[in-house]
Amino acid sequence: MTDIICPLCGKPNPPDLDECKYCQAPLKTAGFFALSDQEGEESSFLPPSGESGAVGDQSVQAESASPFEEGVPDWLKQTEADFLEGTEAKPEQGTPDELSMQIESLLNQPSVPEDTGKPVIDDDWLASLLAEAGGGSSAAVIPPEEPLEGLAEDDVAGKTQPFVEERTKVEGLLPPDQEEKPDWLTGLEAASTIKLAGGMSPSEPIDKSSSIGEPEVAKGPSQADLPEWVGQVESEENPPGTNESETPIAPAELPSWLEALRPEDTVSPTRPVEDLSAADVVTVGPLVGLRGVISAHPSAIRARKPPTYSIKLRVTDEQRARVEMMEALLADEQKPKPLPSQPIFNSRNIFRLVIAAVLIIPIAWMIVTGSQKTSTPQPGSIPGVVDFTQQVQALPAGTPVLLAFDYEAGFSGEMNLAISALINQLMIKNSYLTLVTTTPAGPALAESIIKTSTGLDGLPTAYSNYTNLGYIPGGTMGLLGLATSPKAVLPFSLDQVDVWAIPPLNTVSTINDFSAVVVMTNDPDIARSWIEQVGPVLRVDGTPLLMITSSQAEPLIRPYVEAIPSQVQGLVTGLAGGLAYGRSVGIMQQDGVWDAFSISMTTSALIIIVGSIIGVVRNMPTSDKKKEG
Amino acid sequence: MKKILPISNAIIAVISGVLVLLGYFFPGVFGNIQSILIGWAIILAAFALLLGIFNLALVHWKKAGSDGPNRIYSIVLLISLFFTIIVVSISGPSGSASLWIFNSFQVPVEISLLAVLAVVLVFAGARLLSRRPKWYTVLFLITVLIVLLGSVPLFFLGEVAPLIVVRNWLAQVPAVAGARGLLLGVALGTVATGLRILMGMDRPYGG
Repeated sequence: MTDIICPLCGKPNPPDLDECKYCQAPLKTAGFFALSDQEGEESSFLPPSGESGAVGDQSVQAESASPFEEGVPDWLKQTEADFLEGTEAKPEQGTPDELSMQIESLLNQPSVPEDTGKPVIDDDWLASLLAEAGGGSSAAVIPPEEPLEGLAEDDVAGKTQPFVEERTKVEGLLPPDQEEKPDWLTGLEAASTIKLAGGMSPSEPIDKSSSIGEPEVAKGPSQADLPEWVGQVESEENPPGTNESETPIAPAELPSWLEALRPEDTVSPTRPVEDLSAADVVTVGPLVGLRGVISAHPSAIRARKPPTYSIKLRVTDEQRARVEMMEALLADEQKPKPLPSQPIFNSRNIFRLVIAAVLIIPIAWMIVTGSQKTSTPQPGSIPGVVDFTQQVQALPAGTPVLLAFDYEAGFSGEMNLAISALINQLMIKNSYLTLVTTTPAGPALAESIIKTSTGLDGLPTAYSNYTNLGYIPGGTMGLLGLATSPKAVLPFSLDQVDVWAIPPLNTVSTINDFSAVVVMTNDPDIARSWIEQVGPVLRVDGTPLLMITSSQAEPLIRPYVEAIPSQVQGLVTGLAGGLAYGRSVGIMQQDGVWDAFSISMTTSALIIIVGSIIGVVRNMPTSDKKKEG
Repeated sequence: MKKILPISNAIIAVISGVLVLLGYFFPGVFGNIQSILIGWAIILAAFALLLGIFNLALVHWKKAGSDGPNRIYSIVLLISLFFTIIVVSISGPSGSASLWIFNSFQVPVEISLLAVLAVVLVFAGARLLSRRPKWYTVLFLITVLIVLLGSVPLFFLGEVAPLIVVRNWLAQVPAVAGARGLLLGVALGTVATGLRILMGMDRPYGG
């Protein structure tokens, strides 16, 4: 039974397989048959025994078919057979001269042409081995008796002595520089010794990889397969004149599957080398003396000033004209386009003028005539007014009252009515008015209100029992600081007087030392800040917090008034609240203002109704057209 | 230094905020520290007001020097500013000349602006339905009319009790509900922003 050794992985495969069952490499084209231990069949790569001449001893091959030798190439087996045949025949032939002649014939055996069909036997390795055994000198210098005797003794004693001892004996003869042999040669020596001993220890290490899978087994080893040191020995043994007659080594024939795997673009070894004779020789740098290489001289990488190129574009006249046209278009886009002029007396402006006239003329008429046709609001009908009046009336005479003027001057027409009535009441009580504000225009507004206030007789009064502390910066933080420490926030009055050191403010250390705090504002946020920052401090001692606000702030302030307990103890809102408060304290100073306010509200409502009706009527034809479309 | 300054700013801001906050909960312990820190903040706010006035003057000074079409307004502003500063410096904040400027210019101008605003609002209300004939426009106009007519006694008609009741309901329920909702949202946002600043996550002071 013959197994096929895979040329790629070296494992045996059954002969009926086309591909290796381990690595799927093709077997029929490139694989070789291994000899079976039982049958001892010849390898397909070996020639017939009759043609082998001196080699063809079939019995020797059958004996040598051990598991370790399955991977040994046949040419090597053949060489071993030749060697064994020669050594076994020595005792019969007897004379040392014949042995030396045989060795000479082996060493000088001419190479057999490939087409003869005979196996090529190259015994150079044997010659070198013998040369090594003889101390590294040439075969002509060494007497043939010594290696032969040694070999003969080995033949006799090798059957009983292990291989290791033989090897150490040979190694002892080798020079120190040649003691290290390649593994393949060590395995080869072991195999040859095993042949002589007739067996081999299973534990003997043999490198089979050096001989397994050789594709050129039928041709024998070439010069390229031999180690370098073997070639050196051969060159020493054979002068150049003797080797000239040898035929050149034929190129190896690659299996077809290997040719198929070979990339097509691989550079052929026969490709001519590029002629570098004309290339420059490097004269400086680390690569000095080399030809055809890039020089690493610093001059090649020296920093140079970059060449200067002109940035002037080469444009034709047509391109230049197009660029100018584009620039002109862009310049026109950037120019602001004037709005189309509209006539002054268009329908919209006329409508505005009509509305203004309808509002202004009745108001002016009512004020000029002093009309009082509309009933003034009652204090009880407006929430907070009665409480406000009671709180003011409950203030002790001559006590300090804090007045915060936190409204804009534009709301003075709505709020001054209630403020004037309040200040009048406080003047009657001779309260010490302390004026503060959180708006920049507040100090002037407060000063103006105080100086324009009139008494009960309607004549201006020169009231001087007050101080103007001015503006409180910081908004909410300023109010918090005023609540905790008014002296630290506003240490001086606008007249640069330290009012906190003179009566009655010398008794005031916190804001709840005032008898009341009255906040006058049109902004619901400012009112909320006073309630949230100052209110808690005032509630500690029950100091009332009173407010006079505009109508727009009333919805947000009113819940604080109606809360239980109330956070704002009195509230007067808008013109109606001012009139109600004035009526409650006996001051009737409307002078036609209430009628003007009433007619302006009525007129505004009528204008909106009429304008809306006109707009609906004008849009009706448009909506009908859309439905028809 | 670039790494130390942001950290030190954050530490100062967080500590200051925590101390002021603790002053509300423990006024006996942290009340004085809170007052000192608030005093510093008030001084800084006053300085910011002065800085704003200086910046306003500088911006309009540049505009007055340019060739723009609105340079006349900047020139008027600068003249008014410097004139008022000079008069108040001489007369004092509560002097007669200062009050004359206030009563003769600022009060009439602000009142006139509100009067013009009233006319414009009436005009816009009259054209609103023709410009945007939608159902919510009608609802808006009806609400406006009810509040206007319910605020005062009508000329020649006197008080209309149902209008006053509806007006008070509108002013106290829907209007206050909407305003309070906005205030609650603002308060929640303020609390969140305050906490982020106290924890150093937001650093509006830089860093």
